[in-house]
Amino acid sequence: MIRLHHVGKTFGAGPAKHTALADITFGIDKGEFVVLNGPSGAGKTTLLRLLYRDEVPTEGDVEVAGFDVPALSRRRIPRLRRSIGIVFQDAKLLAGRTVFENISFVLRVIGTPRKDVTPRAFAALKAVGLSARAQAYPNQLSQGEAQRASLARAIAKSPQLLLADEPTGNLDEEMADEILDVIDDIWQRGTTVLLATHQAALADQLKRRTLTMRQGRLVKDEG
Amino acid sequence: MLGFLAGEAARDLRRAGRVGLSAILLITLSLAALGCFWLLSLNLGRAVEQWRERVRVVAYLREEPRAAGVDDLLARVQALDGVQRVRFVSRAEALSSLKRSLGAQASVVDQLPRNPLPASLEVTPTPEAATPDGTRGLVQRLSAMSEVDEVQGGAEWVESLAQWQRLFELTGLGVGAVLALAAILTVTTATTLVLHARRDEMEIMRLVGATEAVIRLPLLLQGMTQGLLGAALALAALVTAHAVFAPRLEPLLTLTLGLARAVFLSPAQMALLLAGGAMLGAFGGLLAKGRAYS
Repeated sequence: MIRLHHVGKTFGAGPAKHTALADITFGIDKGEFVVLNGPSGAGKTTLLRLLYRDEVPTEGDVEVAGFDVPALSRRRIPRLRRSIGIVFQDAKLLAGRTVFENISFVLRVIGTPRKDVTPRAFAALKAVGLSARAQAYPNQLSQGEAQRASLARAIAKSPQLLLADEPTGNLDEEMADEILDVIDDIWQRGTTVLLATHQAALADQLKRRTLTMRQGRLVKDEG
Repeated sequence: MLGFLAGEAARDLRRAGRVGLSAILLITLSLAALGCFWLLSLNLGRAVEQWRERVRVVAYLREEPRAAGVDDLLARVQALDGVQRVRFVSRAEALSSLKRSLGAQASVVDQLPRNPLPASLEVTPTPEAATPDGTRGLVQRLSAMSEVDEVQGGAEWVESLAQWQRLFELTGLGVGAVLALAAILTVTTATTLVLHARRDEMEIMRLVGATEAVIRLPLLLQGMTQGLLGAALALAALVTAHAVFAPRLEPLLTLTLGLARAVFLSPAQMALLLAGGAMLGAFGGLLAKGRAYS
């Protein structure tokens, strides 16, 4: 599903040059649940951004879901992104739309037939246990509910891969556990998951394969 | 999909608020100004056409030819370049025409010892020759004929009317272009404001895999809607102005230009005005800054 080969990423030039990633090589197979762990600034987010082509590596190869990511033309980027669901630390819900509209909006903009939008949006809400809050606006949701809505939006388009960047970063322990349970359910339905977190304890708790990063390098791959 | 995008465009239009409204008003103003000059030019153009058809060159003859010679003379004049029609006016016919034009004073003519009027040829130039240069050429050709004593007539004043028409066209285009530019810039500003308001939405669209066309189409539709609304308002203003002022101006038009009535834009021209407005708005929408994948 994911293949990175000697990937490097630098920002700036000359004295201002900053190496965000260096010589990263690993692979994730279809159906795996992998945790990407490391302190803030280790390069986790940059790595995730390379996967959905928000950044281009300075060197090396990146392959995701059969796409040669750095070589993708601008016209083909949407195709890659339709195969990936992305969840961030902040839920990034659209304020003027209800939870249901946040999900249906995404389905509409990627060209889902109108008749399929409502059933798919409700199926996604059911999967994250948020059906009862479909008509609520983001400002009426708790942080945990907002993150579940964000997960529902990510999985509504049935992605092959779910990228979660610190999805529990803003949540208390109880809410974080709820979100991890939801992500686990999504994985068990066959979606490959790559979850980035700075919390080592959370990585231990999940008992999954864990990639550990330090200062832009992959220092451990275990589990 | 198109219905969904149109709905998004309507939402964007509401978000644009006052700037969006200003853009619509500026498009209304520019197209109303353009339409006004278009109407003036259209009616002047009709007057020019009408008067071009009435241009005549009269060749006065030294002597009235005998009946047998008239056909030969008419045939020779008809064969000249730039002649559409020619009519022989005998001395007697000229005199009775004078009497008719004198009306109640016609008896004055009876006091004359003899008919002083010469026979003449009334020449109608072809449409191509009904210009100052064309009629000058025709006058020269007629003057060269031995039977002809003097030639009168020309199209200078028709040409000056045509120049007025061109002036109105150019002024209309100039004023319309300046206002259209302002309208495009306002639509661009309105759309850019919407773009800023839609930052989050666009980011989400970008992340989930919406194509750039889907991201930008609502902006284009928003601009087009503004343009179309502006054009429709301009058209409504023109229709109203025409309905109110045309009946009052028509007597003056008849007297000065010989036009029976002031015409309005044809359905095709009205459609062109609406399409022009839509394109103006769409162009403004397209110019809005920011590309989805930049």
